[in-house]
Parts: sequence; C-alpha cells; structure tokens
Amino acid sequence: MSIKRFAAVLKKDIALGPRSPIVLFAVFIPIFLTIVLQLVFGDLFSLKPSLAVVDQGSSEVARLLQKTEGIDVIFLESSEELKRRVLDHDFDGGLVLSQDFDQQLKSGQRPLLEIYISGESYAVNRLVLMVTSIDLLRQVEGRSPPIDIDMVQLGRGEDFPISMRLVPILAMYAFIIAGLFVPASSLVEERERRTITAMLASPVKLHEILWAKALLGVLLSMVMTVVTLVLNNSFSESQGVLLLVLLVSSVFWAVLGLIIGLVSSNSQILFALIKGTGIFLFGPAVFYLFPNWPQWIAKLFPTYWAIDPLWQVLAHQSSIQDVLGSLLITLAITLALIPIVKILGRRMLRQLASS
Amino acid sequence: MSEPSIFVDSITYSYGKQQAVRGISFDVAPGEILGFLGPNGAGKSTTIKMLIGQLIPDAGTIRILGTPIKGHNSEIHRRMGVCFEEKNLYLQMSGKENLEFFARLYGLKHPETDKILQQVDLWNRAKDRVSSYSKGMRQRLMIARALLHDPEVLFLDEPTDGLDPVSSKAIRDIITQRAQEGTAVLLTTHDMYEADKLSDRVAFINEGKIYALDTPENLKQSHGKRTASVRIQRGEEILETIIPLDDEAAALKLRDSMSEGRVLTIHTEEATLEDIFISMTGRTLQ
Repeated sequence: MSIKRFAAVLKKDIALGPRSPIVLFAVFIPIFLTIVLQLVFGDLFSLKPSLAVVDQGSSEVARLLQKTEGIDVIFLESSEELKRRVLDHDFDGGLVLSQDFDQQLKSGQRPLLEIYISGESYAVNRLVLMVTSIDLLRQVEGRSPPIDIDMVQLGRGEDFPISMRLVPILAMYAFIIAGLFVPASSLVEERERRTITAMLASPVKLHEILWAKALLGVLLSMVMTVVTLVLNNSFSESQGVLLLVLLVSSVFWAVLGLIIGLVSSNSQILFALIKGTGIFLFGPAVFYLFPNWPQWIAKLFPTYWAIDPLWQVLAHQSSIQDVLGSLLITLAITLALIPIVKILGRRMLRQLASS
Repeated sequence: MSEPSIFVDSITYSYGKQQAVRGISFDVAPGEILGFLGPNGAGKSTTIKMLIGQLIPDAGTIRILGTPIKGHNSEIHRRMGVCFEEKNLYLQMSGKENLEFFARLYGLKHPETDKILQQVDLWNRAKDRVSSYSKGMRQRLMIARALLHDPEVLFLDEPTDGLDPVSSKAIRDIITQRAQEGTAVLLTTHDMYEADKLSDRVAFINEGKIYALDTPENLKQSHGKRTASVRIQRGEEILETIIPLDDEAAALKLRDSMSEGRVLTIHTEEATLEDIFISMTGRTLQ
C-alpha cells in the first residue's frame, strides 16, 4: 500500500466534500436534528432557569439564591431594568426584594414579593423558580415546612429524561450518514461516473481507494458525533474514553459503508439499500427511547455493539474497562467484515471491466 | 531485436458464453501508432481492457514494456497512459485540479500541468469546473490526463469520437507528436479516416478476430483496385470510363485523349480502408 497514493485519494475526497450534496447533508442533518429536538425538549438553549434579582437591602434570600446550583442568578440595579429584560426574555424570571424584606419576613409580617415571569419561559423553568424561591423564603423565615415530604420514585432507577435517551439516535444519525453513507455514496458516484476506472488505470490500487474512502467516513463521522454530543452537552466528561469509543464505532460504520457502496452499482440501489436496511441499522438506538422494551432484543442487532459503548459512557459514565467487552465485539465484527470488502471489491472490478 | 512496447500473443476473452476476443496477436514498437479499426462490439475495448489489466485474458500472453500483464501492476501502470472512450473526469473539479490529482497518483513531484493544458489549448479554462466544459474540451482534457506523466505506452480508445474537425485535428497532432517522441500508441477507432491518417499500421478487427494487419498503404494496394475514373468530352457527349492503371494499352489511350485536350477530369479509384474492411468482413465500420 502506498501512503502517498492513499493520501492523494483522501485529499481529493476531502476537497470534493464541500462540493458534494451528500457530504453537506451528512454535516447538516445531525446538527439540524439536534437543534429541532433540543428546541422541542428545551435543553439546548435553556440549560438552567435564569433569574434576575434586584436586591435593595442585602437580603439573605438573595445570598441563598446565588448559592443555589440549579439556577443562574444575575443581579440588576433597578426593578425597571429587571422588568424590561424579563419582558425581552433575557431571563425566565425576575425577583425584586425590598430594602427591609428579611426583617418583615422574620417578624411575621407578610412583605410583598414582586416576581416577574417571562411569557416565553418554559413551564418547567417557572416551576423550578417558584419552588426554589418559596423554599428559600421558608429558610430565611426560620420555619420548617408545615409538612413532611416523602419522595417516592416511580419507574426504574436508571430511566433517563427523553432528551438524554435521544442522544444515541442523534449519534446514530451522525454515524450512519457521515460514517456509512458518505463512503458508500462516494464509491457509487465514482462508479457511476467511471472515474474509478480512470483511477485504476493509474498506479493506484483498489484497496488504496477503498481505505481512503473509509478514512474519510471515519473522520467525518467522528467530527459529526463530537459536534452532536457537544450540542447536546454530552461531551463534557470522560473525553478520552468517548473519543476511543467514537473511533471504534466510526471504523465499524465506515467498513459497513464500503460494503454497501460495493454492493450498490448505482445510486438507486444505494438509496434502496439504505432505506431497506434502515430498521436494522437504527434498531438498537430505538430501544434506548423505550426502556420498558426487553433490552436483550437490541443485542441481536450487530449495530448494537457499535452504539452501546457510547450510551454506557454517556449515561453511566462507564470507564474503558466497563465498555472494553463491547468495543472488542465491535472490532471483531469490523474485522470479520474486511474479507467481505475484499470479495466485493474483486466483484466490482469484474463488473466495471465487463460493463 | 528489441522487445516491442506492446506484445500480444493469442489472447482470448469471453463474457460468459459470448466470446469477445478470439486469439488475437499483434505488437507495437516504440514510436509506432497501431490503429485498431473495427465497428462497435468488434472487441476493441475488451482488448484494451486486457492490455491495461482491467480484464484478465482467458488464454494467451500480454507483455507491456517487457512485463507480463495479468491484472493491475502499479509499476507498469506508472509508465502507461490511457484515454477512455467515456469521459470519466471529475466534473466538480477544475481541469487543473483533475490533472493535479492524477499527477499525485502517478507520483509526479513537479507535474507540468500548465504546459500540458497549453498543449491541449485549455489553459484559459484551466480553473473552470469541468462540468462547464464542452464535449471537445473534455476530450482534450482526457488526452492531457493520459499524457501528463510522459507515458511510454499510450492506449487511446476512440479519442476523437464525436468531435468537431478542429478538435479532432488538434488531438491527432498531439498523438502524432508523442509517437515521434518514442511513445508506442494503440489507438482504437471506427473512423477509417482517422486510422488512415494517424496509424503506421492498421489492424482490422471484427467479431474478436484480426482480419488484416499491415500499413494502410499496403492494405490499399493489396486489396484495392488500381484504376482511374476518367471523364472525356466526345463531341457533345461526356463519356465516363474506368481505366485500369496496370493496362498499358488503356494508359496509351488515356495519353492520346489528354493530348487532344478532351480529358475533363481524372480520379484514381483507390480503395479506402472502409472498402477493404467491408470486402474482408462483410460489415461496415459504423
């Protein structure tokens, strides 16, 4: 294998990337889906409820609010500014604490607490702000709540919010479109336009072309999954393990992409194959959406082993030791696919020469 | 005697049960242009595919530059240039980018892309995307790509097919120049004019077999008729007669007519390559 020829093909494919609708699609779709889903579920642009506070008299309530981790607190100078900025939806809510607020509260009077809520804030953020504020007022007042709260968790302990369970699907999109579809479609396009025949009449060998396309898929797939995870605030912990998991998975998807590209003699067949096998490709990710389904079924899909390590690291902060087994299975499946790539490559050469 | 650049001995190839090439043999010396003349489906392209290693012959021997060819061989491919019949260029890339990419595949450190683009008269469009090129421009770029690395052996599959006369002539001039510089050229065509003008030798191929292989002149002489068509004024009448050039009596008669000023026109009745092809194979070249 000549590294120079391999690099030449890779460089050409990277240069053609921005001119290819498929590559643009691969870049655009995961970002688009992330933004749409995050807007629907309200995670991307509203990480924590935001509260503006005007503290006219060094209130204890204001100090406690500032210490609360689940709320972003910003102090403003005047109630007019607060009202204006809440109206502009710079904050989910605003609180005006009068000069002798704490004194009145502690003496049993009923001081007026002005709370302003932005009309565009999420209901969940409003709820968090109200409950937190009332709880802090109780603390400053020096009284315990008039009730004992017994929190009973319903549902399984390992259940995650829907926004979290959507992450594997978004990652799967990035893997499939960038890792699988880009090398496959690039190969099919070269075949349809017969440019691969021109390359094969030069010193470059078929396996140099194929691995260059696979590496393009791996690189694009890794970039797009990282972007997807960053957009979903899921790329903050265990970055080393995450990158290793993404690398192994991306290689798997790229090799699968080569197989699909080699099997497809034209774009129609490629699209039909992707559509036809979509359920098998995406299947395991759907199981994360429905945790009540029997999860063992997901393990029957070969693609499960390429997505589950990512889920384990994201959801359970699994270490490399925890996901090593799944990664080895993914690698074993990938290695088992390589002889198929070779056989299909020879078949494609025969088809090209005969047509 | 030195080894020919292209040596082919008794090669055969079948697509399933359909035999496309049936035991053909020929060779091409350095600096020689061999024209493969035959109609579509005669086996020309299949032969080229075997010569460039994209098909492996069922039987027979191929040696390119002294090296046996059975499949892809990077070292030999580095020394050969191929111009395909289909315009397999990267349409989203510019002409210059196309050449630079292939220069990298050939391992050229200092490719003379500008020089070759000037040679094929594409210099002023070098930075434009190939998708905006006309058919003739694309064909010229194909030729430039095949010549970029100064190959010792050049395979040209229908290099001027469907081109206008000006583009065709430009391409023929480039091919002739490269042959004069020592490149062995195998040219397939169904254009008998092109084969006649370009080729040092011509092979007639039909149904996978070579029917004749010789210089165009020898083929015409051995298979054509040495006659002249003469139009003579006789009184009010114009007579048209065919005169065999080997017949002494007829030649004298023609000389008398010429001296009397009665000969209006003389045309030699030399056979064209197409005439000979048809007489040998029973098929036309189209």
